[in-house]
Amino acid sequence: MDHQIYRSIPVTPEEVTPKHIYQSRRKFLKSMGVVGLGSLLASCAPALSPDGSLPAGSPTENLEDALTDYDAITNYVNFYEFTTSKEGVAERAQDFITDPWSVEVSGLVENPQTFSMEQLRANYPQEERIYRMRCVEGWSMVIPWVGFPLHKLLATVKPTAEARYVLFESALVPEQMDSADSGMFPFPYLEGLRLDEAQHDLTLLATGLYSEPLPPQNGAPIRLVVPWKYGFKSSKSLVRIALVSDQPPTLWNTVAPQEYGFYANVNPAVDHPRWSQATERRIGEAGRRPTLFMNGYAEEVMPLYEGMDLTINY
Amino acid sequence: MDQKPQKRSMQHWFRFAAHLLGLLPLALFSLDLLRGQLGFNPVETALQRSGRAAVVLLLLSLTITPLQKIFNLPKLIPLRKPLGLYAALYAGLHFITFAVWDYGLNLSLIWLEFNQKPFLILGLGALLILALLAATSNRFTKAKLRAAWRWLQRLAYLAAVLAILHYLLAVKGDLLTLQGDYTLPLIAAGILLILFSLRIPIIYKALQRWFQRE
Repeated sequence: MDHQIYRSIPVTPEEVTPKHIYQSRRKFLKSMGVVGLGSLLASCAPALSPDGSLPAGSPTENLEDALTDYDAITNYVNFYEFTTSKEGVAERAQDFITDPWSVEVSGLVENPQTFSMEQLRANYPQEERIYRMRCVEGWSMVIPWVGFPLHKLLATVKPTAEARYVLFESALVPEQMDSADSGMFPFPYLEGLRLDEAQHDLTLLATGLYSEPLPPQNGAPIRLVVPWKYGFKSSKSLVRIALVSDQPPTLWNTVAPQEYGFYANVNPAVDHPRWSQATERRIGEAGRRPTLFMNGYAEEVMPLYEGMDLTINY
Repeated sequence: MDQKPQKRSMQHWFRFAAHLLGLLPLALFSLDLLRGQLGFNPVETALQRSGRAAVVLLLLSLTITPLQKIFNLPKLIPLRKPLGLYAALYAGLHFITFAVWDYGLNLSLIWLEFNQKPFLILGLGALLILALLAATSNRFTKAKLRAAWRWLQRLAYLAAVLAILHYLLAVKGDLLTLQGDYTLPLIAAGILLILFSLRIPIIYKALQRWFQRE
């Protein structure tokens, strides 16, 4: 099988470090007291101009994009249906039932269907995709997902001419999710993409992580990954994908529309109302690094936003 | 000092307890730091723990006067100073974590965070008040300022308001509809409201009568 690999930096398959070796290297670095170098490294970050854009010639291409530890990816998670404690999700999600599972694909399509996970795995070859993930809170990771591009699924169901957006609904199972009934958030978790964003090759339906099936806390058994947008757009544990004609409501846009837009494209020049988005903390590393426009995928996705004012369409 | 030995040791126990409470968060944090147990986002953990310690200790320092008034416990009064100073300490550590550990003293980046955003401006306001109170927490200033000193120290209430607003603004969600994880900051706000109301003469006098009937 052709192992197509998407990278944030050019890396050959042999360079992908097996996770157990990567983890032991990290432990070695920690024991050397690398933590203390944080402040030194941060002061080496390029100075931003007042509007948050990087000065010309900034060495962002030279910033390392090392894979984030499996431990960090699986134990530092926002999954509020379980708990708002990032490090508490893993334990609480352990008994989340992800098999059997089906995803209903419906709405403005010619072939609405409900797929089981077995059907999805059989019909769509899985590939590894290494993507950056940037949370709106200001931290980021580099994650080796396994999955298949959403456009292949959409091609099967054939959106009609009226379909302009895609709605994603995540699972809501109060009996298994401790905080589902807390009243803090208007669950179920809904998200959406414009049809062309959904059909972009970068948009992934992920079923695995570090060559293993997704653990429950990361959105098992199938989740969305849209790497050029803030992490909250990448819905977990999908139960329904629907093609619709109007821009769908999304949870965070419903909760705080002045803070979380529909597009939510990563953009260092567009601040969150309460904090700057110019820099981020890469989990596992010391110091801060400049946030990249479109999370570093600008070349691939800018054609989608030609002529759009990104400060209005945040 | 002609206090009975019993009374003196009570004072000492109270002071000991205040210092223990004040140093506990730092001790626990240092242990976790040395054992590499600060989680996956250590800077965030440090910010959260120092911030919470500052708010808790500040609120504790503000409970002293109401408790003393209502239950007639003058022995508690000397505890205001250590509790308040520890609150200032954690507020300072919180700021240093932000400015040095997180932002490496990169002033242009720090400016981007403050510029036109109440979230951090409120926090800085609280810190500056606490720093001022800490700096004036000594006999010499008290003697020099006299009545003004008491007024100055009451700014601790303002510091608490600013700090809790800062805390509320740190939560991801909508404050006006309370959608989001506002549990802890709301508890802090609730406690502060109770503390404010306990300073109202009608209320504390009624409580005094209730608890000091003899």
